[in-house]
Amino acid sequence: MSSTPVWLRWTWVVPAAFLTVFLVYPLVVLVATVTSGAGVSLIDPLLAPTIWQVTALATVQALVSTALAVVVGLPLANVVSRYRFRGRAVAQALVTVPFVLPTVVVALAFRSLLGSGVPQGFVLVVLAHAYVNLAVVARIVGAQWAQHSGDYESVARTLGASRWRAFVDVTLPSLRSAIASSAAVVFVFSFTSLGIVLLLGDPTTRTLESQILRQTSVLLDFPGAAATALVQLVIVTAVLLGGAVAARRSPARRLQPVGLRPLPSRLGARTAVLLTAIAAFVIVLAPVAALVAASLRGGSGWTLSWWASLGSIDAGTTRLGSPLQAVLTSLGYAGLTAAVAAVIGGLAAIAVIAPGRARAVGLLALVPLGVSAATLGLGILLAFGRPPWDLRATGLLIPIAHSLVAVPLVVAVVAPGLRSTDTRLMSVASTLGAHATRAFWTAYGPVLRVVIVGSAALAGAVSLGEFGAATFLGRAAGPTVPVQIVRLLGRPGEQSLGVAAALAVVLVLLTLVLVLIVDRLGATPSTRRSGTA
Amino acid sequence: MHVRSSAVLVTGLVIATLLSACGGSGDEEVPSAGPSTVRLLAHDSFVVSEDLVAQLLDDTGVTLEIVSGSDAGTMVAGAVLAAGNPTADVMFGVDNTLVSRALEADVFKPYTSPELDWVLPALRDDTSAGMVTPIDYGDVCINVADSVLADAGVPAPTTLDDLVDPTYRDMLVVEDPGTSSPGLAFMLATIARYGDGWQEYWAALRDNGVSVAASWTDAYFGEFAGGGDGDRALVVSYATSPPAEIVYAEDPKPEAPSTSSMTDGCYRQVEYAGVLAGAANPTGAQQVIDWLLSESVQADVPLSMFVFPAREGTPLPQVFTDFAGSVDDALQLPPDEVAANLSTWLTDWGTVMGR
Amino acid sequence: MSAPRLAIGGLSLGYDGEVFLRGIDLTVDAGEIVAILGPSGSGKSTLLSTIAGVVPEVEGTITVDGRDVTHAPIHERGVGLIFQEPLLFPHLDVGRNVAYGLRRHGVGRTEAGRRSVELLTWLGLPGYESGRINELSGGQAQRVALARALAPRPAVLGLDEPFSALDTELRQRLAVEVAAMIRESGVAALHVTHDPREAETVADRVIELSALGH
Repeated sequence: MSSTPVWLRWTWVVPAAFLTVFLVYPLVVLVATVTSGAGVSLIDPLLAPTIWQVTALATVQALVSTALAVVVGLPLANVVSRYRFRGRAVAQALVTVPFVLPTVVVALAFRSLLGSGVPQGFVLVVLAHAYVNLAVVARIVGAQWAQHSGDYESVARTLGASRWRAFVDVTLPSLRSAIASSAAVVFVFSFTSLGIVLLLGDPTTRTLESQILRQTSVLLDFPGAAATALVQLVIVTAVLLGGAVAARRSPARRLQPVGLRPLPSRLGARTAVLLTAIAAFVIVLAPVAALVAASLRGGSGWTLSWWASLGSIDAGTTRLGSPLQAVLTSLGYAGLTAAVAAVIGGLAAIAVIAPGRARAVGLLALVPLGVSAATLGLGILLAFGRPPWDLRATGLLIPIAHSLVAVPLVVAVVAPGLRSTDTRLMSVASTLGAHATRAFWTAYGPVLRVVIVGSAALAGAVSLGEFGAATFLGRAAGPTVPVQIVRLLGRPGEQSLGVAAALAVVLVLLTLVLVLIVDRLGATPSTRRSGTA
Repeated sequence: MHVRSSAVLVTGLVIATLLSACGGSGDEEVPSAGPSTVRLLAHDSFVVSEDLVAQLLDDTGVTLEIVSGSDAGTMVAGAVLAAGNPTADVMFGVDNTLVSRALEADVFKPYTSPELDWVLPALRDDTSAGMVTPIDYGDVCINVADSVLADAGVPAPTTLDDLVDPTYRDMLVVEDPGTSSPGLAFMLATIARYGDGWQEYWAALRDNGVSVAASWTDAYFGEFAGGGDGDRALVVSYATSPPAEIVYAEDPKPEAPSTSSMTDGCYRQVEYAGVLAGAANPTGAQQVIDWLLSESVQADVPLSMFVFPAREGTPLPQVFTDFAGSVDDALQLPPDEVAANLSTWLTDWGTVMGR
Repeated sequence: MSAPRLAIGGLSLGYDGEVFLRGIDLTVDAGEIVAILGPSGSGKSTLLSTIAGVVPEVEGTITVDGRDVTHAPIHERGVGLIFQEPLLFPHLDVGRNVAYGLRRHGVGRTEAGRRSVELLTWLGLPGYESGRINELSGGQAQRVALARALAPRPAVLGLDEPFSALDTELRQRLAVEVAAMIRESGVAALHVTHDPREAETVADRVIELSALGH
């Protein structure tokens, strides 16, 4: 490891400082506040059976959700990130859309789509979780898969392996780190899910997060909430560490930036690819189509008035500004979040591959995923929402909170790509006389650029769709789009539903455009190149 | 390792201090416009006309900054945790199911507004010994999709007892009291009405096919026939939902709403405002409470938030007088009784409903 | 002797809808090594990929041991491939890499293990079967790749610039060794290279790609 640049050993400082200030410190303040009362015990709630029953239920639910997301996400990742066909870029961006839709919108769309066909409960929750998390699998696995030339598979085929056998024997093992990372993230999202289990679930789909919300906001049972949050944190951290360990054991495969390949010319294979692409469109677009319909439907048939009132509804009140203003607010936060998350998350991801203690910090960057949103929101409010450090007026709290959500995702996306880059490349570069830093960029630069830009897109998308922190830490005068949507859906009248749907469609379009732009920026010259001959 | 982690902590604190120095300092020391700025912590449903905020500035020199506190329960949770060093000067929107929890935690500093004399007699003494000031009230009632019932040839229910009648089998959707504010109010209504027999009432509702939604949005737009695509004719909502349906309808507005509210078995929610203990600007906070009770803000309340003003004699918009359910004998429970029993009630409710 | 192990008739080479060589006729006998010479980008690799079935043929026929495999799936053609990079499966040890093709042809685990040990010994890598592939040198890795390709006894072996990633001295030594192994194994080999010297060293016949068709 003599060729490791010195600065690589210190990349962990920035993410560590960020996490300490905005994650650890607020949680410390919160725990200190909660436990300051006399006779407060965190042990008693842990002895109650409910917490463990809920843990078991949530584990089963999250496992099934994860399996479904991976099974559907893998073919999507294959088609969308490896083949060249008309509309590919749009398809790739579309896959990201479900991930950013506010859960209340997803829930309404699922309801109007599946109607009474699928009753509220386990099945509906699992379907919704898989739908929302498709992007995680498709993006993380796709990023790695896109760098596979297919030569290994060809070798296996010539050795007598059928197409399926080659996939199982060769492709899957080489995608293991990406699959493990994405599966861990999907599990965590499903395990800590709140909105979807509240809106589409039944008693069998409770999560610790929904328990925490009830304990905090209904019962004001703070010690109980703290104990539940602690259990959730421990479980989630264990899962993420497990995912990271599984990912690290994954052997390095020789990766080259490969161009997109043409569609297979054999009819059967070509049809399979196109059908997968079409299925992706249908799966992603069906709920979106339901939203579009809702935004155009009035009491007396079709109408454009909901769209027309986007700029004027509730004008002159303190509530909204206008929905269009919310779009600007959201875009601002998304931009900040993308920048912060790409820098912090990228450095943390580099730390993951660096030697020594830095790696632990990189893994710790995943932990915010396990911190209950309600807990973190309260913690940040107590730490940075009042004197001496009142940061609310700076408008930074929301992007910071969004970054805390997004940084683990960025690490999850960036790290597998870096890890599977053959370190021999770096050794080769440095034996050829390259300065250590330049050797690092030679080896990792191309991969790094692609994944960091992709991560920024993901982080921006997270910010666009986030609801909890935005309602908690925002100022009433500047709501984000999801907050607007939820507010509109909180009052009767066809206008409320119609304008909320229109705003949700705007959110979908915004996300699409954002992701398309960033995908284009992030594409390396070789992925733009037409193909390999 | 200890040295190292404390070094990290120090670095972090320095960064935080720098950050707060860049942006946060303006609020307390240099009020940007007018002699004072007041921060009003309010739940997401709070809304008022901008003209009135401007008027507040003109009349008193108070610049109002509204701080969003999520839903009422989460807002109160935050206020309780921050008691003594609050995140704002004054809080609006704590209601009669939550207020005793806030009082226990010494969230408020006493204030009796001179405007209180104008408040409806029934609410005037409802101040928790001068800690909070009633601003508005609303009734959580069963709402009826009239045309759906008419098509089915069924008369609208008139009492809570009717809801367990097989005539209304599979017709009612309620919200989970553990996750929804109107859902909680409806559960409290049944406790206030049936006392110890409330669990049997819910068992009967369950056997009569009641559906439980997680949120008002889900119940009203998802399952209720009068709100969206649903097929249920009865929903737990507000007495003011029918007028809201008109106000938020497509132009030209329909002459009458398609829904109405049942006026028996409604639970009354009263919303209060209070000066937060430790407020940076307590005087301004008091002025904001006076303003909230002023004639003009009170007149604005119905169409902004779809609740009834607490101030006696405030003129109501016609859509209210025509279509809002007029509830004469709303049910209520004493706040301290709610606080003491809520956890048990929710557990019991979950046991009865299998949730 | 008998019929050629590989016979190609009227084959067109193309990629992504573009045809760049038509009417290729070629036969290769058992134990024979034919070198195909041509500059990079001329379609040499595509020729091998087409014979192996990785790139679907445009038109023409491919016959292996008298069997028409033109439309057969890759794994049923009896055509092995060696690339510029060894492309050893990184998650398997050396022995399992070599045994992979045997296992896919229904050979039991123990038997496959035994034969891969034999093959490794024959290729001058005795005792390497439980080694990790990232511990091999470049030359060793390419030898393991050869062992892996020959293990299931393919009728045809395509070698795509197999030594170009190695340094000059090693390249020459390995080329001679590999050529001897191929002749001994009786496979029909097509060796693709841009280097005339290498072609002369290893091959029984050297053919310019451009001379194969039009």
